[in-house]
Amino acid sequence: MPTTEERTKNTVFTYNANSLKSKLADCISRHVSTDAWQWLTEKTSLISKSENVQSFMVAFAAVTRKTGKQPVVLSDSEISEIQQIRSHFIIQHWEIDRLCRVWILLHLDTKDENKYIKTIEDLFPTAEMNEQVALYSALPVLAYPARWRARCAEGIRSNIGDVLRAIMCNNPYPSENLDEPAWNQLVMKAIFTEKPIHQIINLDERANLNLANILSDYAHERWAAHRTVHPLLWQCVGKFINEKNFPDIQRIASSEQETEREAAALACMQSNYAPARELVEKNPVLRDIAKSGMSWADLAKKLERNS
Amino acid sequence: MSCSHNLTEKDLEPRVEIPLYLESIKGMKFFDPHIHMTSRTTDDYQAMADAGVVGIIEPAFWLGQPRTGVATFQDYYSSLVGWERFRSSQFGIKHYCTIGLNSREANNEALAEQVMEILPLFIYKEGVVGVGEIGFDDQTKAEEKYYRLQLLLAKEASLPVQIHTPHRDKKQGTQRSMDIAIDCGLDPGMVIVDHNNEETVQEVLERGFWAAFTIYPFTKMGNERMVEVVKKYGAERIMVNSAADWGISDPLAVPKTAALMKQSGISDDIIHLVTYKNAIAAFGQSGQLHETDFSTTQQVDQSLKFQGNTILRGGQQPRINKDSLIIR
Repeated sequence: MPTTEERTKNTVFTYNANSLKSKLADCISRHVSTDAWQWLTEKTSLISKSENVQSFMVAFAAVTRKTGKQPVVLSDSEISEIQQIRSHFIIQHWEIDRLCRVWILLHLDTKDENKYIKTIEDLFPTAEMNEQVALYSALPVLAYPARWRARCAEGIRSNIGDVLRAIMCNNPYPSENLDEPAWNQLVMKAIFTEKPIHQIINLDERANLNLANILSDYAHERWAAHRTVHPLLWQCVGKFINEKNFPDIQRIASSEQETEREAAALACMQSNYAPARELVEKNPVLRDIAKSGMSWADLAKKLERNS
Repeated sequence: MSCSHNLTEKDLEPRVEIPLYLESIKGMKFFDPHIHMTSRTTDDYQAMADAGVVGIIEPAFWLGQPRTGVATFQDYYSSLVGWERFRSSQFGIKHYCTIGLNSREANNEALAEQVMEILPLFIYKEGVVGVGEIGFDDQTKAEEKYYRLQLLLAKEASLPVQIHTPHRDKKQGTQRSMDIAIDCGLDPGMVIVDHNNEETVQEVLERGFWAAFTIYPFTKMGNERMVEVVKKYGAERIMVNSAADWGISDPLAVPKTAALMKQSGISDDIIHLVTYKNAIAAFGQSGQLHETDFSTTQQVDQSLKFQGNTILRGGQQPRINKDSLIIR
């Protein structure tokens, strides 16, 4: 673990980038052939020095040709070491080319802030689908975090499933950096496009009244169309139950679907709104769910199993 | 985007009633090595998947409206490796592409220069299986210049080349395209000469190039003629494609031709070679296309289906009944 002093010295990054770079190098060298490793180290040493942006862009594109696409396999201790260096940086379901691309980006010279930003920004418009996934996955480990807000918001406008997943799921960048409207758009779009929202980092911490209102309206639209509403949606509403949206909770509390009743109980337990507390205490079905100790994570797992 | 919370397994199943000609080729897999999906609808993807098409190559081409700036080329190439690839994946079809400056637009030299500068950014990208479609349209000096430059680029990147042969003065244009490829030091085994007909095929094969045939109504090959070509020349280095685009064309040309070959008594082995295997062998030389890319996906799909799991199946799209008056 870096000391606080070390962290403040390294102001362009919010974490110890050198530690992460060498930790990832260990993982990568174990996963790729000797030839590919040599190619990668050659390219990254050129990238740190070279002024030739085009050759950097071609190398970034050509990664998969050298590394292949085998899944990254990490030990439990590696997973926790990586997370100690950069919290919530979760790479265990990645393929190796994605990890190599992110690692290559860590070698760019950060001294000239605008040049650094431009070099990476220039990769986005011509990025192939898997490159886009890698680029958005890299947001939480790039320097100058505040400079990637607009890019992240732009990514949320994509309709490519894998790109959305790379931004929304297991990525700490959005919750740490997006303003409220962009964050709410991320959550809403994740629900709309049926992403596993329990993989959104800090979903509870970033819950807010505006989002709760948007989600309640959305639920009403779905009900009007005779469509179902995802039970996990109510996780973002629980803390903000009020006289306006309480009827929604009452509605799902008496749903025929067990998972909706469970969502109602979990939402009421998050709330300080008296009628909601009363509902979970007095309604025997909800009370039993509350007593069972079920969490939103348990409900998410259950929904995943049932899907 | 669709919202499909109410999806059931039934919505994802292949349709039950299928046209008679498809019945005869049920279970066969097809690969269409030349089709411009950018110009086609989502319904076509669905129909292709139903007919057994598991992989396609989309060559970069002329969009009908001439482009006036390099940025529109860049966006077009980006869409071939980005959005279109995703669109295809929704239907379980693996999408590859070839990247190049088409012959028509090579005639705008100021623009062509700028396009040549951005090509290296794209040809090394994942799933780019060649430089194409390039060659001659009007057979001008500018066309020759950019054809040659792109041949050298392909050679440098060790990529196959997909050659468009001209509609007018076809025989001469085809010969000239091959002469120049040889002159630039390309191995004929790395070059796929497209849009052949009865007049061009013999020389193309004799010189060691791959011969592709486009089944396209009115202007290119018909599939009855194709049956005769295969009867005469066999299957070696021959492949069939649809080149379906914004014109009156048929995205099912490859499976339909397979069905017609079957009906005409051509063996399954030969059909397999000209409608699947040969194209994969030719473009597989790029190192960017392996049969396992889609055969493994299919296995995964099958096993997941047994568990009744619809979500994990690569985000496949639900099926709708087109004849129904009701839209839900």
